[in-house]
Amino acid sequence: MSFPPEHLLLLSAALFALGVLGFLIRRNVIVSLMCIELMLNAANLTFLAASRLHSGSETPDLQGPIFTIFVITVAAAEAAVGLALIIALYRLKQSADIDATTEMKG
Amino acid sequence: MSAALFYLASLIALCGAAGVILAKSAMGSVISLLASFFALAVIYLLAGFQFMAAAQILVYAGAILVLFLFVIMLLNLGALGTKFELSFAPFQSARAKLACAIAVGLGLIGLIAAQRASLPESVAQASAEPIDSVHNLALALFGRYSLPFQAVSVLLLVTMVAVMVLAKRKRVGKGNEQ
Repeated sequence: MSFPPEHLLLLSAALFALGVLGFLIRRNVIVSLMCIELMLNAANLTFLAASRLHSGSETPDLQGPIFTIFVITVAAAEAAVGLALIIALYRLKQSADIDATTEMKG
Repeated sequence: MSAALFYLASLIALCGAAGVILAKSAMGSVISLLASFFALAVIYLLAGFQFMAAAQILVYAGAILVLFLFVIMLLNLGALGTKFELSFAPFQSARAKLACAIAVGLGLIGLIAAQRASLPESVAQASAEPIDSVHNLALALFGRYSLPFQAVSVLLLVTMVAVMVLAKRKRVGKGNEQ
């Protein structure tokens, strides 16, 4: 590995920022959900970068990969529930526009 | 060599992420996200996480994105999203400014964190062999982390039931809605 591990953190910050930006400015619900996936990926990258920073050649730090596995699992569950909600919403409103749902008056 | 590959993959990941936001249709967003995920898998591989790279491709590119594609095709959203709709329209730039401010702020925090991250000398030339060998990972996952592992399994079961309940079409005329 010939690149500094800090650059992993930089990349992760940039990806997370792009995810937040997309989540806030896109109106399509599915694209919002994709931006959430992007943010979760940035979080995974942070976990792995931390693990990289803390593990020596003899003592691997496994907490990063373990937590990444859990995050991936939860992300899969979240995507499934989110998409089911989108399908239910689409049946109700015939639209995937985030502004079509205003019952909660957010 | 490895460094050049890393920066190339980072560039692809960032362009993919930008593509998710800028794509005209939801389908384009999915394809951009796919590119981003693959680039991330390459980065995991370069950082010494072989199992994570495989899991990234299998679970994210193989399962989650296919789920997205299914829903987009099911609801025929590929055509619906063709006009480029940002949500500044109803909020007229206030929300967009807030979004940009938050994103830039998070980026700056990440920048500071990355600069503060102190690097022990021994780690700088850590070997390229995988940190997450399947043997070690299995020992940790079924040993020390077996309780969270079981909790996550229950979560998956609950999710499965919840998704079936949510996405089930309500039967008309069966009398079980109000």
